[in-house]
Amino acid sequence: MLNALAKEPLLYRLDVRTKVLGFSCLTGLAFIFQNPFYNLGLFLIAGISAFSARMPVARIRTVLIPLLPIFFFILGITSFTYPEDRFHNAFSRLTLFYLLPGQHLGASVGGMLTGLNFLFRLLTMVLASSVFTLTTPIDDLLQFLQKMKVPSELSFMIVTALRFIPALDKKRIHILEAQKARGARLSEKGLIANIKTYIPIMVPLIINSIQMADALSMAMLNRGYGYTKIRAGVRELTLRLEDYLSIFLILCVTAVGVYLRYFLHLGFL
Amino acid sequence: MELSRREVKKAMENAVEIVDLWYRYRQAEKQVLKHINLNIERGNFVVVMGANGAGKSTLSLCLNGLIPQLLEGELSGSVTVAEQDVSRQPVQVLARSIGLVFQDPETQIFGRTVEEDTAFGPRNLALPEAEIERRVAEALELVSLKGYNQRNTSELSGGEKQRLAVAGVLAMGPKILVLDEPASELDPQGRVDLYAALDELRRRRNLTILVIEHNVEDVSERADEVVILHEGEIVRRGCPADIFRKVEFLKELGIKPLPVSELGWELVQHGLISSEEIPLSLSTAAKVVRELAGRRSQPSAQARVTTNGPIANTEETPVLLTVSGLVHRYPSGQTAVKDINLSIREGEFVALIGPNGAGKTTLAKHFNGLLKPSAGDVIVDGMNTRQVETAGLAQTVGYVFQNPDHQIFAVSVEKEIEYGLKNAGLGQQEIKNRLDWVLDLTGLQEHRSDHPFTLGKGKRQLLATASILALKPKLLVIDEPTTGLDWNGTQDIMNFITELNRYGTTIIMITHDMEIVAGYARRAIVLHQGRILCDAEPRTLFTDTKVMQEASLVPPQMAGLSRDLADLGLGETFLTPVELCQGILAAGRRLVRVPAQIQVPAQGEEEAGC
Repeated sequence: MLNALAKEPLLYRLDVRTKVLGFSCLTGLAFIFQNPFYNLGLFLIAGISAFSARMPVARIRTVLIPLLPIFFFILGITSFTYPEDRFHNAFSRLTLFYLLPGQHLGASVGGMLTGLNFLFRLLTMVLASSVFTLTTPIDDLLQFLQKMKVPSELSFMIVTALRFIPALDKKRIHILEAQKARGARLSEKGLIANIKTYIPIMVPLIINSIQMADALSMAMLNRGYGYTKIRAGVRELTLRLEDYLSIFLILCVTAVGVYLRYFLHLGFL
Repeated sequence: MELSRREVKKAMENAVEIVDLWYRYRQAEKQVLKHINLNIERGNFVVVMGANGAGKSTLSLCLNGLIPQLLEGELSGSVTVAEQDVSRQPVQVLARSIGLVFQDPETQIFGRTVEEDTAFGPRNLALPEAEIERRVAEALELVSLKGYNQRNTSELSGGEKQRLAVAGVLAMGPKILVLDEPASELDPQGRVDLYAALDELRRRRNLTILVIEHNVEDVSERADEVVILHEGEIVRRGCPADIFRKVEFLKELGIKPLPVSELGWELVQHGLISSEEIPLSLSTAAKVVRELAGRRSQPSAQARVTTNGPIANTEETPVLLTVSGLVHRYPSGQTAVKDINLSIREGEFVALIGPNGAGKTTLAKHFNGLLKPSAGDVIVDGMNTRQVETAGLAQTVGYVFQNPDHQIFAVSVEKEIEYGLKNAGLGQQEIKNRLDWVLDLTGLQEHRSDHPFTLGKGKRQLLATASILALKPKLLVIDEPTTGLDWNGTQDIMNFITELNRYGTTIIMITHDMEIVAGYARRAIVLHQGRILCDAEPRTLFTDTKVMQEASLVPPQMAGLSRDLADLGLGETFLTPVELCQGILAAGRRLVRVPAQIQVPAQGEEEAGC
């Protein structure tokens, strides 16, 4: 019993191909539904995967919090710009309120729900990709790309990019702190003011990211990346029973999703 | 017979041969390397030194083909490494013969776990699984990371990451190892461990090692040869004993001499010893002073040393910063600092020291509200940092970060400094006045309109400091101000900080450099595992062997020497070469030179030899 508890969580043990399939199906499903309630369900699946992979809550928070302003922005835009006649359901066609007098610039229920749908879609993808990178060793990914006959130059780029994200995020935090220490207020009102306040963050971030990209590619070559076309794998990629069961589950969920959407015509607004 | 001669010849061959190498970066105006001719014998330990911008890192990139294969530019001359022409072999092929360890470990680690990362290189070489396992185990053992195999790389400390970077390169099985300032961000114990790992490597594998290093102390007794670069040219090559005795020459070229050699130089200046007798190790320095003292015992008068200025923590001086019951927990739940209680009075010069991961930066970030306490309070100039945001504290607490490139964004030096002043909402005239004041103070006036990235690292660090000082903060927190700077840059920035302190700015400086603490700070707070281990005058701290050991700190050479010479009765613990020389002179009349008794050690003895 204790041994079973101490064992690595399932997501770490699964074959990279199973995880790629799961990730692709989840992303695909997120795109076929327009109704946020369905995407909320998909987000919950991504959330359960994150918890089962023992992804620290702090990490989930750091991934999601910077996206909050974008979420509100999307919600605002869709609420006011999606005309009622775009929607099939009577409920979605309702107008919540008007921003301007004379019944101008109305916020539709459908528009707001579309915004929410975008949000859950984005959240699902961000969370699912975080879980994927957390649980998949870079070696497995390289081997997968190799099996898919992806050219080594392209997989070099993919790996560098993946390695780049956490390193760049650390830089972003350092830069943010350095500018705050010089009195930068990053919650100024207004879009233009916001862009202006972010210049002192963006410029060093871009300069640092160029330096870092150089350093990363130098370090990879220095470690012999690209020496041969075939890398030695950590383990031969093999599908085990738990992979087959997971694949079965993934395909079932996908089939249910497709059935709901295309045969029962659910998930519309 | 024929075979053995060939073997002998092969053994004699050079590991590195550089013939008339010139290099200019694309779009750069000047040549970075000029007329470089350098042979390195197999199995040698060679140190490359020189000021910032001398071309040291560029030279290292030429050795494994990254120049010109990845970084294009104008190159002439030839570089042969392990009998391979660098211009004709891809970097990945050369990587089997020569491994390069860069300064920043963050950009060299690819694996999720320690084992995965170490195996990254061997896997690229498509080696058999058993060989990969063997190499990983051996490399991790060599850098003292055995047993760390399954540790997550993101959870390693700075020192561990740097050693992992070395392991990753070692697992490639290179014959030559090139390290570019590998210990610049490590604490004293981290430096010791890293260099011990290099010693072990030499012993077990007979590797040829080339290290780029600013710190003479780490290499003086290890190097077989020292190469000094200045403005892209090799200005001197030779054995450490010859080069490190030329104290004035080193200073001119922006290289910090050994403190014991500086002491020797002071003694030479006073006609007490000859320049050939300048010591290069603690033991020889002790011997030289003892010989000077003769064997007479009782002192006539004890020397009084001048401290780094008066200590400002008298009862009358107002308290500027109070930390009470501070606890900080990371979001992960891990406690970073706990039970911190301290108060800092106006005008103090405090050094915050301790090993990597002790919580120094975490504590300092509470002073300007970048971090909020999990428990307890931080009061700065009457303001509780829980209630005031960082921007509001910026005019009271200035915080200069370690890497100036994290803040530089403007197109000119002037505009960079103006940024903070505009954030503070100052008027045009006031901004102009402060700009002129700070540019004069820092000597950056002549660079006023220059683009910040055209300046060298030392000047960029000065600019970062200037942009904070323009806000005229009462308290200046400065994180590792001298990391990666040459001797001239270090002195510029430290003199400048001292000057500020003299005019009343309170200084809190985070540093690993005990020589800097000894030379400038008047109070030292030692953090260890998130708690304050000791809060004392540096002179007192450096004699407290128990605390020093517990916090893995290494006392400055002069403090160590004072301890060794305690029986001579020279007086208190001396912290700098000038102080100790003054001590010797003060005890002076009885210190008679006994030339016949001073013996410079033979080659290969305690001293760095050739």
